[in-house]
Amino acid sequence: MAEGSKAQGPVNPLDFWKQWSETSTAMWTNVLEGGKGTFVDPYGLYRPWLHSIEVAQEQMKESAKGTIEPTGLRKQWYEAAIGAWAKAAEMGGDPLGLTAQWLEIMEENRSKIFSGGTVPADPFTFIKQWYDASSDTWAKIVGDIIGNEKFVENASQFIESYTSYYMATRRANEDYFRNLQLPTRSDLARVAEIIVALEEKVDRLDDALDDIEDGNSQVATKDVITELEGRLSRVEKRLDAISSALEKLETVEKLAKHTEGMEKKLDKVLEAFAKNEASISSTATEVDVVATRKPTRKNARNPKANGSKVEAKQTV
Amino acid sequence: MTSENDTQLDIESNLKKYEAGLQIIFEGARADTGQTPKEIIWTKNKAKLYHYEPTVEKKYPVPILLVYALINRPYVLDLMPGNSLVEYLVNHGFDVFMLDWGIPGDEDSNLTFENYVLDYMPRAVKKVLRTAHAEEFTLLGYCMGGTMAAMYTALFPGKPLRNLILMTAPIDFTAENTGLYGLWTNEKYLNPDHMAAAFGNIPGDLVDTGNRLAKPVTNYVGSYVTMWDRILQGKPMDTWLAMNKWVNDGIPFPGAAFRQWIREFYQQNKLVKGEIRLRGMRVDLSAINCAVLNIAGKKDHICTLPQAEATMNLISSEDKEFFVLDSGHVGLLTGSDAKKSLWPKILSWLELRSK
Repeated sequence: MAEGSKAQGPVNPLDFWKQWSETSTAMWTNVLEGGKGTFVDPYGLYRPWLHSIEVAQEQMKESAKGTIEPTGLRKQWYEAAIGAWAKAAEMGGDPLGLTAQWLEIMEENRSKIFSGGTVPADPFTFIKQWYDASSDTWAKIVGDIIGNEKFVENASQFIESYTSYYMATRRANEDYFRNLQLPTRSDLARVAEIIVALEEKVDRLDDALDDIEDGNSQVATKDVITELEGRLSRVEKRLDAISSALEKLETVEKLAKHTEGMEKKLDKVLEAFAKNEASISSTATEVDVVATRKPTRKNARNPKANGSKVEAKQTV
Repeated sequence: MTSENDTQLDIESNLKKYEAGLQIIFEGARADTGQTPKEIIWTKNKAKLYHYEPTVEKKYPVPILLVYALINRPYVLDLMPGNSLVEYLVNHGFDVFMLDWGIPGDEDSNLTFENYVLDYMPRAVKKVLRTAHAEEFTLLGYCMGGTMAAMYTALFPGKPLRNLILMTAPIDFTAENTGLYGLWTNEKYLNPDHMAAAFGNIPGDLVDTGNRLAKPVTNYVGSYVTMWDRILQGKPMDTWLAMNKWVNDGIPFPGAAFRQWIREFYQQNKLVKGEIRLRGMRVDLSAINCAVLNIAGKKDHICTLPQAEATMNLISSEDKEFFVLDSGHVGLLTGSDAKKSLWPKILSWLELRSK
């Protein structure tokens, strides 16, 4: 025996098998503790099998006295398993008809496994034989079941209720942590989104730089920039010229306005003269004086208006 | 005395084997995966672009970009030394890159296929071309990565994309073609909006459970029967451990992308109808005109044969081939069958189109 080996003495394979079986049964039972809901339990298929192992263990304990003969042991397990499944089916725990079909397979394989030859002492080799004998049929049956609309409908309901429950829990947790002034996953996700967006911008710059390096985008050289400056300067000069031309135009307009203003003032002065003359002259000669007086610029341009003025004065 | 000692040693040996098996069951499989030497040449958010270090002189100027799905991890393409498609291609003189989407966090629940196909993939492609000093590249998409690769090709046909390899890439989601998934994702039974609203990102375990339930006896029982068988018979466990690790290494599916995947692909089958729009751009598969190698597995229940085969009638490529293997979704990619059939096929197909 090798030094430092873990095994300190002979180990009974049956004890080991029992130990493993008990451990695994306990594990699966724990795992499935919450799986008794209204909807299809995806692990439900294992329940009768686990139960069968427990029953087999009990029977083994009773019969295992000293050396165990493998064929007898396997047969015991097999019979116990069939018995447990049959009981499960009788109790109505087989809504999809799985157990009944499973029993059929077990019965079919009984002869395949136990007829002739020796049954392996190693439990796993036995299970492999059993699996090889039944897997095809079993796979077909399971395939038919999971491809059945009723199964999918149940699974769909399960998923819907699970997602609703998950969503409600998530919201409640978010609210709870928010009330505690603690950052939640959503908060962290928001921060991460900002970082990702920032990274996106950096990536675009990286892309642009790649393009430049690869020559896909032209880089502005010093010569090009100098030429552009020259062109810009010429454009500026032209703009200045246009601007000064516009300024000249504005000056002319201003002069015109100024002249017009002067004319108006002259008209007023002439009008004032006319009034003065009128008050001095006598009424008999008034018409002649007015007729011989030089007409105003305004009246000369508008003889009709001048005439109407004369008429008005005559009336007065 | 000798007989007693032998018995003792047998018992001891068996106990060790049981211990090893139980350890795997309770603690999960441990294996060194993704071992081909690589360098990260670009990252964006959680995504990483790997460049695999060449082991031989580069023979082909056209690099290969591998794109994986949004679920599970991409190291299945580089599972372990001696059982890796990546290693095989690198050892044959290809310049290989892989886009790993990474593990999305809560902040990524709004990522959609628009982000992946229009933002991430084009950037990764530019990095590949730049790093490889190449003008063209080959795009290889696996599973959902194949669907994404097809969408990318439809939106960006022509140069620089030279070849497209689709491996078990679902394109046609007609309910009759999608098997159990078609039933499970039927809008009567699955509301992706509700799930995304509840979880944000869809938990990896939930996605895994869905995938495993498609073949429950094999996945929940058969796999472990094989494990015990191998342990007790003293057969090598490396591949089993690596595969089991990968199978149990599911990652969250970004909620918004999940909604699109279920609603627009599975429930409405918009891709084959040309009704998928990414930021207003219509994904028209008939725009694909490069050389295409479309690979599918007869025993694939995740991407069924008709789902992948439909691509052949939708694309405009003159140089196109549909290659069918007698394998399942993952078995097609790894293991002894892959070494004999798939990998040499990819190599011979690419050799002619990568010069």
